[in-house]
Amino acid sequence: MTDWIRLTAPAAAVVAVAGPAYAVQYLSVEQAQKLAFPSAHFTEVQAGRVWKASSGGVFVLDHVIGKHLYIDYAVSLEGGRVKRVDILAYRESYGGEVRSPSWLAQFVGKTAASPLKVGGDIRNISGATLSSLHVTEGVKRILAAYGSLR
Amino acid sequence: MAINREQRLLSSVSARFGVAALMAAGSFLGLGEQALAGDADTAQVTNQALLKKLDAMEQRIKSLEAQLKRKDAPASAPKASAEIAAGPKPPNAANRTRNASIAVSDAVPATQNPSPAPAKAEQTDKSTPDKPATDKPAADKSATDKPAKPDAVAAKEDKPILGLTASPVPGLSLGAYGEVYFGYMQNPAANGQWQLGSDAARRFVLLPTYAITDNIIFNAEIEFEHAGSGFDNDDKLHGTAEIEQLWVDFKIADQFNWRAPGIDLVPIGYINQHHEPTEFYSVKRPELYNGLIPSTWKVPGSSIYGTISDGVRYQVMLSAAQEDFGDDFGCRTDANTVPQGAGTLPCTQGGPWYFPGIDGINALAFSNPPLGDFRQLSNSLAVSGRLDFMEPASLRGLAWSVSAYYTPNTTPRGAHDDMGIPLGNSSLAMFDAEFRYRVPNTGWEFRGEGVYATFGNPANLRANNDSDPTDNVGKSMYGVSAEAAYHIALGTILHSDWEAVPFYRYTYQNLQTAGFAGTDPNMPTGAGQQQFHNVGVAVFPSPNLVLKATYQKVIDRTAAGAQADSFLGGVGFFF
Repeated sequence: MTDWIRLTAPAAAVVAVAGPAYAVQYLSVEQAQKLAFPSAHFTEVQAGRVWKASSGGVFVLDHVIGKHLYIDYAVSLEGGRVKRVDILAYRESYGGEVRSPSWLAQFVGKTAASPLKVGGDIRNISGATLSSLHVTEGVKRILAAYGSLR
Repeated sequence: MAINREQRLLSSVSARFGVAALMAAGSFLGLGEQALAGDADTAQVTNQALLKKLDAMEQRIKSLEAQLKRKDAPASAPKASAEIAAGPKPPNAANRTRNASIAVSDAVPATQNPSPAPAKAEQTDKSTPDKPATDKPAADKSATDKPAKPDAVAAKEDKPILGLTASPVPGLSLGAYGEVYFGYMQNPAANGQWQLGSDAARRFVLLPTYAITDNIIFNAEIEFEHAGSGFDNDDKLHGTAEIEQLWVDFKIADQFNWRAPGIDLVPIGYINQHHEPTEFYSVKRPELYNGLIPSTWKVPGSSIYGTISDGVRYQVMLSAAQEDFGDDFGCRTDANTVPQGAGTLPCTQGGPWYFPGIDGINALAFSNPPLGDFRQLSNSLAVSGRLDFMEPASLRGLAWSVSAYYTPNTTPRGAHDDMGIPLGNSSLAMFDAEFRYRVPNTGWEFRGEGVYATFGNPANLRANNDSDPTDNVGKSMYGVSAEAAYHIALGTILHSDWEAVPFYRYTYQNLQTAGFAGTDPNMPTGAGQQQFHNVGVAVFPSPNLVLKATYQKVIDRTAAGAQADSFLGGVGFFF
């Protein structure tokens, strides 16, 4: 039983130090942009935060706190509706369920007029209560702020 | 709640460098004007002028900061000033005072790191006005919801001014959860008399987290139970202060992360790891977690965890094993054995008799290994693991898990029966399966759970050899529970969306199944066969806060009955 520790702990420690520095980064901004607007070119309209797609549409990068740490996420809007939501980076040990594609898919088509309420039109995720709540609030905020941007 | 670095930062700046503070104040005013101008389109000309002004001010601040830096830290000066030259801070120092939730975007964690997304890095080179800060007052609510955010903005400045290591995320943050119980309970020790009482701070837990880097994260839970402990009798405090979790996570890859040795929660079931009061609807924790799963089941251990595929996650833990010793800590001998000898004089009175850690009435409640001071009573380790599943394509809203625990031995060093004859090894294996199903587009929620524990050699368990025939343990223990809840929106009250959740939960557990062995006579009282009916309502003024009321009916197989019903109110919070 103790062999298990003896063999893996040093390896894990080495991997931890030598491992890729951005493992928690699941998508880069470019990758997320490509997923949302596959063949578009992007014009940065607000540095590091808002891009316009040549095909029409807006790509917004934002951050919310999960329980303690940041969740980086991107919301793509087209015609005032959510086209796609992606989680770019998630850092906490619990609550990573918000990355679930099926959960994120619920945001597609939402507008600034949608209720966007966890437990209402957005499913709560048990074990990721705060993360799901905060991402939902974030999307709502982005819709309110950029929903009218064309 | 986050420690406000901004204040500290500003005060340190003004104390040490008045001019810089003045300039900063100037830029605040500048942006205030810009905000007053209102619509960005009509005020573009003014904005342009202001921006130029801001740029100039910022340049000045930067040069002053650089001077300060050189003065304060000659040793690290070359590096620091290089950083300042290479990556000037964003121009919107003032924004954060206006709208933290928007300005926070400028504290993109990655900007602090050597290889972030290029677009984020570019941001630091530009002096673009933060448009939403001026024309979108959209999200004041969320700004106030998450007090950690302004801190994040301030954290960015930590590096150039305070000379700390890069803080990619807000750094230290502090969460909390806690619960309060009050109401009427039947006291079985007083023949079931109904007594009014309260546990006004059943538990209060502080949750410090510090992101050492984006990938190395420190986490702890500091727990005070029953309002803590006091030094004097007239303090009237008889609680505890304990470290419930303490670990550092190395986030290596999505599939593989390592939790360094520390104090962690055994990954069994759902509520053990997610035990905040907003996670369940009854005032007290679900019954299966009172003994069968000895929640809060915290152990010295180390884990690996990660994601296997979308919606499937795992955790495997190696930890100190459960101990079949449930008596006073002072009864552990200096040799780290149980008290030695033959007879039935309790160890608290200097005798050799000690309480079991595993018994047929409290299950595993008293068997957790000690967390500190090398006082564990065996060399045995335990391995536990959990697989988490969420939202299969066919059933949205469903989350479920299976988990297991195994240790080859729970018998402590020097364990003996009341004749002083040593007790041999006995293994412990546990299995748990549970689900939570929030039916989409309805108010319904269903939860269910089953736990099964089996002992390798019950003849070696202390409970079967302690001259007490009532607490004997059979070959196994098990419990099941089923719960239905219905979510009702109550509308907006006090600027918050309230929700009421009436619920009913049934639990059956049998902690004294057949197969007794050992030196004790076999005379179970039926106290180990328990049923619980819980009915109540949980009202959530916000997802962070819950007000609860629960009536609990307890039934067991003893002649007198359990005499342990209760009607309790509770307040719980988690943020």
